[in-house]
Amino acid sequence: MKTLRRNALSGYSWLMLVFLYLPILILVLYSFNDSRINATWTGFTWKWYVSLFENRQVMQALMNSMTIGVISSVIATVLGTAAALAVKHYSIRWSNIFNGLMYLPIVIPEIMMGLAMLVLFSQVQMELGKVTLILAHVTFSMPYVMVIISGRLADMGKELEEASQDLGATPWETLRYVTLPLIMPGIIAGFLMAFTLSLDDFIISFFVAGPNSTTLPLYIYGLVKRGVSPEVNALSTLLIVSTVLLVVVAEIFRRKDSKNNQSIF
Amino acid sequence: MLNKKPVKLLALPALLWMGALFVLPMLMIAVLSFLKRGTYGQVVYEFTLNNYIRIFDPLYGQIFWDTLVVAVLTTVFSILCGYPLAYYISRLEKSTQQIWLLLVMIPFWINFLVRSYAWVIILRSQGVINTFLQSLGIISEPLPLLYNSGSVLLGMVYTLMPFMVLPIYVSLEQMDRRKLEAAYDLGATPWKAFWHVTLPMTKTGVVTGSILVFVSSIGMFVVPDVMGGAKSALIGNVIQNQFLSARDWPFGSALSIVLMLLSMLLILLYFRATKASETKEGSA
Amino acid sequence: MKRFKSLMIGALTAVLAVTAVGCSSSSEQEQQVLNIYSWADNFDQDVIKDFEQKFNVKVNYDVYGSNEEMLAKVQAGASGYDLIQPSDYMVGTMIQLGLLEELNKANIPNMGNIVSTFKTPPYDKENKYSLVYTWGITGIAYNKKYVKETPTSWNDLWNEAYKGRVIMLNDPREVMGMALIKNGFSNSTTNTKELEKSFADLKKVVPNVVAFDTDNIKQKMIAEEAWIGTVWSGDAAFIHAQNPDVEYVIPKEGATIWADTLAIPKGAKNKEMAEKFINYLMDPEVSVKNYESIGYSNPNEKAYPLHSEEYRSNKMVFLDTADIARAEWLVDVGETLQQYDRYWTEMKSGR
Repeated sequence: MKTLRRNALSGYSWLMLVFLYLPILILVLYSFNDSRINATWTGFTWKWYVSLFENRQVMQALMNSMTIGVISSVIATVLGTAAALAVKHYSIRWSNIFNGLMYLPIVIPEIMMGLAMLVLFSQVQMELGKVTLILAHVTFSMPYVMVIISGRLADMGKELEEASQDLGATPWETLRYVTLPLIMPGIIAGFLMAFTLSLDDFIISFFVAGPNSTTLPLYIYGLVKRGVSPEVNALSTLLIVSTVLLVVVAEIFRRKDSKNNQSIF
Repeated sequence: MLNKKPVKLLALPALLWMGALFVLPMLMIAVLSFLKRGTYGQVVYEFTLNNYIRIFDPLYGQIFWDTLVVAVLTTVFSILCGYPLAYYISRLEKSTQQIWLLLVMIPFWINFLVRSYAWVIILRSQGVINTFLQSLGIISEPLPLLYNSGSVLLGMVYTLMPFMVLPIYVSLEQMDRRKLEAAYDLGATPWKAFWHVTLPMTKTGVVTGSILVFVSSIGMFVVPDVMGGAKSALIGNVIQNQFLSARDWPFGSALSIVLMLLSMLLILLYFRATKASETKEGSA
Repeated sequence: MKRFKSLMIGALTAVLAVTAVGCSSSSEQEQQVLNIYSWADNFDQDVIKDFEQKFNVKVNYDVYGSNEEMLAKVQAGASGYDLIQPSDYMVGTMIQLGLLEELNKANIPNMGNIVSTFKTPPYDKENKYSLVYTWGITGIAYNKKYVKETPTSWNDLWNEAYKGRVIMLNDPREVMGMALIKNGFSNSTTNTKELEKSFADLKKVVPNVVAFDTDNIKQKMIAEEAWIGTVWSGDAAFIHAQNPDVEYVIPKEGATIWADTLAIPKGAKNKEMAEKFINYLMDPEVSVKNYESIGYSNPNEKAYPLHSEEYRSNKMVFLDTADIARAEWLVDVGETLQQYDRYWTEMKSGR
């Protein structure tokens, strides 16, 4: 009975994974499609992979996306975590106000936020480019980080922190050695969320990008009018394959190295 | 007891950041919503309440309602899809958990539009599913799988899945399993143990996830366009149109403000409702 | 956890290093820069490369997906672009808003090469601010496998036999314009009665519509999801090349003609270079290479004899002059645009 339930659960979870990867499978398949347009299957080809590496615009866009994604999600995670930790100690009223403020950016339509930021940056005469992109990405992803970590903190008991302080640890030591490790899964989830949001955003990015700071979603969005080139499928395939490989290799190393105490990757 | 002040100050950087880069633009939007549209779509600096009066047109009320229905359905289906997955992940060995978490997130590193077009290829009348079913002889005419409310819902749930899985996982991961064991020791059936122990203890995750999914689906406009054939008007599309075709920024701003207030109100009600059920359970 | 941290630090350092290298290499050059803001795939890559070499200039080519998005950025004043490509009606709007620089015709001697139809477009009567670059007509594309009788009128989209198989552009002005033309009015009317009547008519076609789509209309016609619909001539040529069953006609009532132009936004830093680029694009030989690569209609009259037989005999690229004469430009409708939008929303919401 118990194993049946467990099998059902794992079966369902694998099914969900299939659901998540079904469109990915299709786009991998169509990266080998001879047709310039994703309409019908016309034959097998490698040519999109060849032309991908000659397309300096795509490569530049990929580079920009990665740079902006990593920098903005690190900033967002640090700021969001710090804020969540602080807000935990606020009185109920203040933490409600703070949380309400944090939900606002999630609630507001993206196009509105993009336009407002465009106007702001042009008012202070900031040149549009990578810097404005990073500023904007941190702004829209930080609330997500904070919401996730706040949830983690809310569920966490106070016992361990209190014990640590009873044992004479300073608040900073408690934070560093007790609280942070405890909320680490929340921090990682928040970082993943911020990175994913940054990598995929195009509406806000559109308004705050300037000459020579085109990100991958912006590039792809621009292609839509003429039909998304299979080069984009080829690029997506390479991204997926390399990330999955990286994860698998890291796991193999970890297994070999399993004497190590608990590690995150 | 202890001086918590320095810890409290940790929120300062985030606060300053949001103040400069979010609150300021927000105020501009609020001001904009009381201004007029010029003949050529420019903003005219004259005070008016007209933008808000226009929203009372029953047409927009209906669209707000339709949007809410879609958002609620999306949230419910996301919980149904996401909770078991998050539950499964949280029961795995620690290191395997990280792998699964990454596996769940990686599809979302592929561009949103590219993923949506892949769904179109799967679902369209000459698509993967219809071709497959026809070749098996199960159906003779292609099924209309695309460009209806079902496909919009599918696209929404697919797109917003991580927003549900991540918070629930974070919540489940730190659940105290001893309480669950205690419930079993007291003779609870697995279903009862889940309903009375696990679910209440992971409520924070479900609430957070629901809000993230609900709010994101309210503003969604690309999914209805790509997967729904742009045949329905959700509030996200209407707002988008104010900026991208009607060039009526003030009206678009007013719609956005109303949408925001409405969402905040719903979040508040939702918080209240979940809090209320908690006290009821506590007293029971 | 340590592993995660060092992984992140490693990734961050790598990214920063690459960025630093990228920045330093670009600051080394003392080259002139031309920032183009345009639709995607709107130039042949080699044409841009040749221009860069010939004039010792670096071309940055960024893209947008709609006129209004481009307008928002230019209006905010911080865009930093030297050359933009607004469509017809948007040129009119931008002139009204004072967002375009006047072209210095002395720098563009090749301007005279353009076919006479485009020397006096209604939105910019003397080509003072803009020059037509690509153009086309919104007509009916249909798949002859399913649509047995050649369509002659917009009315054919209303035919119940095509229920769930009609595709339309996801654009209020284009679709309302079509309904207006069908009912014998101007596609840019500001007359409420005319709008009301055409809208009532338009509502009746909605059950036939499989999807409203501008960006993926080509895929839907090629994959035969849609059988008949409103399609731009350039797109029709593309579709026909991929699926020869799809043909294209311009209905007897007339149709909407459109163009993407070359123009210079106010405050452009490198106006002269932008003008040189426009002139370069209008060179007959360059334009032959450029237009055969991007597959759109060439407005350059001097280039016609130089084109390949294949390009010239394509009726979706080289449109019939009688059809062009029947076509009408969209112009800015000012405040009436709100009415268009209201109808559009009403139609979409299904009430």
